[in-house]
Amino acid sequence: MQSPVLVLKDSLTRESGSKVHHANIQASKAVADIIRTTLGPRSMLKMLLDAQGGIVVTNDGNAILRELDIAHPAAKSMIELSRTQDEEVGDGTTSVIVLAGEMLHVAEAFIDKKYHPTVICRAYNKALEDALAVLDQISMSIDVNDRSMMLGLVKSCIGTKFTSQFGDLIADLALDATTTVGVDLGQGIREVDIKKYIKVEKIPGGQLEDSKVLKGVMFNKDVVVPGKMKRKIVNPRIILLDCPLEYKKGENQTNAELVREEDWAVLLKMEEEYIENLCVQILKFKPDLVITEKGLSDLACHYFSKAGVSAIRRLRKTDNNRIAKACGAVIVNRPDELQESDIGTGAGLFEVKKIGDEFFSFIVDCKDPKACTVLLRGASKDLLNEVERNLQDAMSVARNILKHPKLVPGGGATELTWPYEAAAVAFEAIPRTLAQNCGVNVIRTMTALQGKATKDVMHATGENAWTGIDGNSGEIADMKELKIWDAYNVKAQTFKTAIEAACMLLRIDDIVSGIKKRQAPGSNQPSKPTIETEGDADNEQMIPE
Amino acid sequence: MALGSQPLDILGDRQSGQDVRTQNITACQSVANIVKTSLGPVGLDKMLVDDIGDVTITNDGATILKMLDVEHPAAKVLVELAELQDREVGDGTTSVVIVAAELLKRANDLVKNKIHPTSVISGYRLAMREACKYVEEKLAIKVDKLGKDSLVNCAKTSMSSKLLSGDSDFFANMVVDAVQAVKMTNARGEIKYPIKGINILKAHGKSAKESYLLKGYALNTGRAAQGMPLKVSPARIACLDFNLQKTKMQLGVQVLVSDPRELEKIRQREADMTKERIEKILKAGANVVLTTKGIDDMALKYFVEAGAIAVRRVRKEDLRHVAKATGATAVSTFADMEGEETFDSSFLGYADEVVEERIADDDVILIKGTKTSSAVSVILRGANDFMLDEMDRALHDALCIVKRTLESNSVVAGGGAVEAALSVYLEYLATTLGSREQLAIAEFAESLLIIPKVLAVNAAKDATDLVAKLRAYHHTAQTKADKKHLSNMGLDLVNGKVRNNLEAGVIEPAMSKVKILQFATEAAITILRIDDMIKLAKDESQDGQD
Repeated sequence: MQSPVLVLKDSLTRESGSKVHHANIQASKAVADIIRTTLGPRSMLKMLLDAQGGIVVTNDGNAILRELDIAHPAAKSMIELSRTQDEEVGDGTTSVIVLAGEMLHVAEAFIDKKYHPTVICRAYNKALEDALAVLDQISMSIDVNDRSMMLGLVKSCIGTKFTSQFGDLIADLALDATTTVGVDLGQGIREVDIKKYIKVEKIPGGQLEDSKVLKGVMFNKDVVVPGKMKRKIVNPRIILLDCPLEYKKGENQTNAELVREEDWAVLLKMEEEYIENLCVQILKFKPDLVITEKGLSDLACHYFSKAGVSAIRRLRKTDNNRIAKACGAVIVNRPDELQESDIGTGAGLFEVKKIGDEFFSFIVDCKDPKACTVLLRGASKDLLNEVERNLQDAMSVARNILKHPKLVPGGGATELTWPYEAAAVAFEAIPRTLAQNCGVNVIRTMTALQGKATKDVMHATGENAWTGIDGNSGEIADMKELKIWDAYNVKAQTFKTAIEAACMLLRIDDIVSGIKKRQAPGSNQPSKPTIETEGDADNEQMIPE
Repeated sequence: MALGSQPLDILGDRQSGQDVRTQNITACQSVANIVKTSLGPVGLDKMLVDDIGDVTITNDGATILKMLDVEHPAAKVLVELAELQDREVGDGTTSVVIVAAELLKRANDLVKNKIHPTSVISGYRLAMREACKYVEEKLAIKVDKLGKDSLVNCAKTSMSSKLLSGDSDFFANMVVDAVQAVKMTNARGEIKYPIKGINILKAHGKSAKESYLLKGYALNTGRAAQGMPLKVSPARIACLDFNLQKTKMQLGVQVLVSDPRELEKIRQREADMTKERIEKILKAGANVVLTTKGIDDMALKYFVEAGAIAVRRVRKEDLRHVAKATGATAVSTFADMEGEETFDSSFLGYADEVVEERIADDDVILIKGTKTSSAVSVILRGANDFMLDEMDRALHDALCIVKRTLESNSVVAGGGAVEAALSVYLEYLATTLGSREQLAIAEFAESLLIIPKVLAVNAAKDATDLVAKLRAYHHTAQTKADKKHLSNMGLDLVNGKVRNNLEAGVIEPAMSKVKILQFATEAAITILRIDDMIKLAKDESQDGQD
């Protein structure tokens, strides 16, 4: 009777109803499946080849997903999850995806049974609340000063990673680094800023065992004049600057009109005097080492080398901040405002070493370093990258424990302790995947494990709450004995993120894609009148036909 | 040649009469259908993906329609309608679109039966006026009678359809606290609740329940230098709107000097001027300095030495709010009338404490215990960015609703109660009229029932059955004087029953309902008046631009 009315642009595709539910669930599951095999101590690595041909070899969930170019919106949302997890707690990026994928998968059955998604969401939310309560119950506090305990914990976290054979080493590194930069804020709160104060330097060559945490800072720079300046100073007095030690024009545009020839000489002399002045001011404080973030002119080099002072230029701001933290110096901007208190004396040794083909400066043996560098050695760059990722995870775990000293059992033991039907099935995904990845009989192990867990719930004894899967042998074991632990807030965050994200995806019943980037709303309307007038003009041409 | 004999040739399509009306209405209908499923406590969300692949997940009618590239002109009217509702009330955007579409559908049927559109229009107008009057006089209940609970309930009702529904208790209390914290009385003694004073900050990580309300203001930037203290208290805050960088002449002024020594002086002066300024600020007693512009590294040291926190590149909007909350004056220049540069301590604002905290991976400056305390911040946590965005939208709606409730001071029962009551009332009214409008009013009455119907359908309940029951209750309420309390009967969508929604705590501000009726009717009338549509073909020369 009439032509179909076009309301939306034809470029838009719209899907709705249960189709959307299924599509979303499928997409999320697909994402989970990609990284499923990277869970647990018997996990495998993934090799990713990016568009530029670069290689990433990793088993860090976040690192894998970040590289993937995914089109499906729901899958994108899943990837965001692992990013959140990484930023918030730094570990458990794989678990969160596997768990969220499983949550959705279990919900699929209920949707097929015509349960309303909002009902499922409500139930999941309730399950989350209870899960957190249970988590509180079975968690146990630990003493952060007990090193062997902490080591065990960090080790069980790295257990899943490539570096597991070097677990002790990495755990040591991570623990050392984090305790170094930990700041007591009082009232038992500790702040550990990994991003700002721990630098991981990777130098290919050597062996992984050569890696260490420096009691100080290292950076990839050499002194300005290698021949003349000392490369090794014991107990150096360090001045940190963030101003150039060369003549710089003012901000205003200034022109000098010179009439007499002598003026020219005066001008040049002034510039020299300026530098000399700066150097004299600095040298007054008898430093052994001057480091600046900006440039250093040849003339200034000359003055410094004459005075027997080593100088380093063009250091990065972040490195400079770390040196300041490590040796107790204050970064100074105007040399004429230098004070005795600004000079760093905390460092025990300054040394420039040649590693491989490059020179590296070490400021080490600091008295009370609040910043440090972790020096990683290894066979190849790809390997080092992966080790660095593992170390980051390990450090995050160590930080979490320092901040929140509570533990829950690992190895899938925690996941088996809740009574909710649907959610519990989903939670089982973690132990199941663990079992799968180490190649044992999944069903037998799972039932055995479940049997123990159910007994526990029924008798409320709590003694079996620590039973989980030993990811290496696939046997059921007591996690307490094996020292397989997870940090409390990593687990809690994993559950929260996974369940909330699952709920969000479940609530969607309509996907509209292909929307043009919104142009300014005004741009459409003004063009209308012009179309009309031009239309009229065309009309006149049409009439003669 | 007689002009009339030649058909007017228009480059493009022309439709008129019944065709265009039907077409417009079909378009509106389909727009309403898109948002229909997001209505009510069991409504679901929509996922919108743009051509770059950015995802938006939302339940908010206005947001959905704004994101959709609606092309049809009549449908665009509805999109604008939703935006209008969003601006005026902040919530009920979905309802307004659904009601408008239903009104149009019914009107079209009437017109098909040879009732002139103008009659329908005047009937609708009359019905709308009567309905609004009835809501205000008979259905609205003063908030004073109900206390704080009613505010929380309003917020909860607004949030029930959103992502936050599971934690609505938690968030509703937060919203009410937030709105009450920004309460202020203006010069004329009117009490205002500037929602803009509530700063919503999103940080992913943790769970939605760990979101919290903060008395004071949060700035999403860190300190300018590491050496600055993490915390100062009590804080004296200077708000600046200019650079603390080396002084530089504006507009490329050139300075000509003939003595080379002057050159050095200029350089020296540049640095000193900034230093003097900073000293003036510090001398006035400031220990927190916020500026919208940059601060040179060189200048930072003075702040570090003085133990002050300096923050650069604060958003101008944030600065204004901070200034308002702390009683500071945002200073754009130091120059005074005498041509000197001064900074008076009266420009400073006060707060109990300014701290830098780490939220997720970001450093945030929190200004706590502000003097005038008309600013609060809500810090939202959640699984990922999409979720946070949607939480933000839901919270905004709830904030608006609480504000409206406080300002208009009256509420009505939700869950389709008002619509059912109005429908019964208007039907009765229609029978008392002897004119053509009678039919239109009757249809108007019928149209309002779409809200309870859609609610029931979304919850997968028997709509016909429930709506019939609902109407029966309201009929008794209006006819029998002793059954007045039944006028608050509405739908309980979780259990699929009819209950007293006022007691169940499902309430909405009366003003929101009135606006929905007014806007929906006006929009319907606008579209109804159209009887000719000319769509001009795109000019070839225009193609290049698009």
